[in-house]
Amino acid sequence: MSMTKKRLIPRLLQFALVIAGVYFGFVLLFDVILGALIPKSLLSMYMFFVIAGTFMVFTCTEESAREMVDPIKALVEDPSKKIVRNIVYAVLPLLAGAYIFTSLQLSFEAPVELRSIHPAPPASLKAYGKRFDLATLENPYRKLEKSDPEKFKKLVFEGGEVYIKNCQYCHGDRLDGKGPYADGLNPTPLNFQDVGTIAQLQESYVFWRIATGGPGLPKEAAPWISAMPVWEDFLSEDEIWKVILYLYDYTGMRPRSWKHE
Amino acid sequence: MNNSGNAMRKINQLMIRLLGAMLAMLFTVAPAIAASGDAENGKIIYEKRCIWCHGGDGDGSGAAEKFLNPPPRNFEDGQYKFKTTGFDDMVPNDEDNFRMVRDGMPGTAMPGWKALLSEQEMWDVVQYVKTFAGYEEEKPETQIDYGTQIPTSPESIAAGKKLFEDGDRCVECHGKAGKGSATKSLKGDYKERTWPRNLTKPWTFRASNDPKDIFSRISTGIPGTQMPSFADPKSKKKLSIEERWNVANYVVSLAKTKEVVDAENTVIKAEVAEGDLPATTDDERWDQAVPSTFLLVPQIIGKPRFFKPSNDTITVRAMYNDKAVALLLEWDDRSKSIPGDELAEKIGDSPISEDGVAVQLPVVIPTEMEKPYWGMGDATHPVNIWQWKSGTTKAPETIALSNAMGFATIEKRDAAASGLQIKSSYDNGTWRVLFTRPLSTDDAEKDLQFAEGRFIPVAFAAWDGSNSESGSKHTMTTWYWMLLKPAPSSMPLAIAVLVMGLLLGGLMWWARSAAAKDTENA
Ligand code: HEC
Ligand code: HEC
Ligand code: HEC
Repeated sequence: MSMTKKRLIPRLLQFALVIAGVYFGFVLLFDVILGALIPKSLLSMYMFFVIAGTFMVFTCTEESAREMVDPIKALVEDPSKKIVRNIVYAVLPLLAGAYIFTSLQLSFEAPVELRSIHPAPPASLKAYGKRFDLATLENPYRKLEKSDPEKFKKLVFEGGEVYIKNCQYCHGDRLDGKGPYADGLNPTPLNFQDVGTIAQLQESYVFWRIATGGPGLPKEAAPWISAMPVWEDFLSEDEIWKVILYLYDYTGMRPRSWKHE
Repeated sequence: MNNSGNAMRKINQLMIRLLGAMLAMLFTVAPAIAASGDAENGKIIYEKRCIWCHGGDGDGSGAAEKFLNPPPRNFEDGQYKFKTTGFDDMVPNDEDNFRMVRDGMPGTAMPGWKALLSEQEMWDVVQYVKTFAGYEEEKPETQIDYGTQIPTSPESIAAGKKLFEDGDRCVECHGKAGKGSATKSLKGDYKERTWPRNLTKPWTFRASNDPKDIFSRISTGIPGTQMPSFADPKSKKKLSIEERWNVANYVVSLAKTKEVVDAENTVIKAEVAEGDLPATTDDERWDQAVPSTFLLVPQIIGKPRFFKPSNDTITVRAMYNDKAVALLLEWDDRSKSIPGDELAEKIGDSPISEDGVAVQLPVVIPTEMEKPYWGMGDATHPVNIWQWKSGTTKAPETIALSNAMGFATIEKRDAAASGLQIKSSYDNGTWRVLFTRPLSTDDAEKDLQFAEGRFIPVAFAAWDGSNSESGSKHTMTTWYWMLLKPAPSSMPLAIAVLVMGLLLGGLMWWARSAAAKDTENA
């Protein structure tokens, strides 16, 4: 035998540990931390690349390749390893058989549908027979917050009336996404009290979402399942700006703006 | 007033408080201790959170008024529906209102506020609400007498059932099966339509279906609606305390157990039927099919919108064989709406329309995530719509087939040519409609071709013709799935055994040839 260094953990075991580590890492990240079950097909694909890549790294020199392969060869060929061999010979085919059997079973679980909640907005949007440039679009009433607080308060109130007549059924009158019909929809209406929705967005983005609704979303956000109506059909431009004022006022959130960043 | 009278009053009040606190303890983990609210602070909260429905003056005339049924409560009139004071006492306990504010009122737009308001804030707003009717100084004079609760038992339930039905006591409004299939049209004090509660759906109870709550309702009635008090000695249908407990136990026993929404169950699983598919809605084999129950929401995404639904769930069962697929839709509807029918016209909002139900399926089973738009498809993804209508006194029930590419692009097609068939039945407040269609049709371009083992998107819609529902005014579900479950097959096992054999063989061969090489080398 050549002068292979004696390692604390044999190479083959190292290889197995890396693969297992990555696998459980994925499961932990998706299922436990992100709370979204990772689709099986996606996991298989990731794992294929991980195994192939790790294998290449572990066998890149002749010596390291031999270190990987030798223990396997020894197991099969070394007469002194007979007991271990018999065990491996019994277990390996059983495992393979069980894997094939389970993966051929049809799943009755609903397919997982991943969608992006806040896709990139278009550069401009067409509504009310004109074009809005989203990069420069601002809420025309926002400045009144400082310059005319009385008028601003009145506009917020009018926005509240638009909200209660049109939006509470889904987003809830507490603005927490738990309206009376929310449970009957998938995806569920968004929760404006959560820091992950309107607090992250500029008012122009919110205007785009309200004016064009579910059907206005790009493909990665699965427009075909969103129940969010196309409000251009029901509300005036003015009403949308006012309801936006109300969303931020009621929740105590601030819209993001270019100026402060 | 002398001293002892004063002391008695105090003790009385204390007892009331204690009773209230005990009641509250029944319903929450953390007991709500009756606190005295601060009406000043309550006003601030009210003006931010409650005016939208209940109105600035508390008269129920908030902006939402016209869109809600039941309408937001008018606090100026001082009438409360869910209270535990005596049937002849207008004034509620603070704890009663506190509970409605904290937990909300299922089946109405009134939400529970505990997630957003602190305990103290809720007491404050309850205190403020009282001021609209000038109740801030009023104390209730009588309380419901609960006697001793009779625990549920088959005997108690049987006794309750008898009282429920005797002289049509409850049946008159709630129907024989308790589903609210009334024999008369009911209105509330504000002329609003009221539907008797479907007692088999406890999730729609404003104040829970705990026997004690039901006892309270039977005792006080529901003020402002036609649901009367059965504790009132003047009532011809009066019930004793014991009898009320028996009726309450019976009402609890009516709760549906199978046809209930389970958020995890989003797939209708059609099993292979032995022999012919069931030809009727009451075929015994339907009992073996696993039911999937989905929430119905009113159509509020396209014009004209619809805000006051009466149906809230629909249950689906499915079966198939090598020729066709059968879908059984079941939903509770308080009235069999047959236009022209005298009773139906009387119960419903005349003129009534036909009841109806529809199934929506994609014309092409999607292979990727992309589906047709859930509101009747879109330009590139057409849907099939099968719609049943209950018929009128002049015309029989109908089945229609159409292909839609959005609300506005609808093509009427020939249902018979695609082999679509229906059977329907109405029994004591429940419709059952059975759709049957061949797995494949002649027009594969325009009809969905069913395939085993594929996840097929499916959505449903329902119309209650007695509730002004027709055209775009209806209830609907979001997309769910339907799956024709292939019959169990031995293929997976055969392949697994084959792979095991091959693998073991290969390993043996490797070891054998290595051993041979060894002896050769030696
Ligand atoms: C029929 C139910 C329904 C109604 C009514 C409704 N929405 Fe929505 N809305 C949704 C759903 C579902 C989503 C999440 C899916 C999506 O993003 O399209 C959503 C998303 C949104 C978003 C995106 C938030 C974000 O963080 O990206 C905004 C803003 C919004 N709604 C505002 C409104 C306003 C304002 C109204 C009333 C004028 C309204 N919605 C009425 C169902 C509804
Ligand atoms: C989205 C509309 C809406 C909002 C907002 C709302 N309510 Fe209500 N509320 C209702 C409706 C509708 C009813 C009547 C339900 C019924 O009659 O069954 C009601 C009933 C009530 C009742 C009567 C309970 C009973 O037993 O009769 C009280 C008390 C009440 N609301 C308090 C409040 C308070 C306090 C707030 C604010 C913190 C509030 N509501 C906000 C819609 C609303
Ligand atoms: C005259 C018609 C009528 C009669 C008789 C009647 N009810 Fe009702 N009941 C109603 C109406 C209407 C409602 C719904 C009221 C509302 O809008 O909240 C109702 C609601 C209820 C509720 C729901 C309570 C909740 O928390 O939501 C229960 C339980 C109930 N009734 C039980 C009974 C029982 C038991 C009887 C017989 C002892 C009875 N009712 C007799 C009309 C009636």
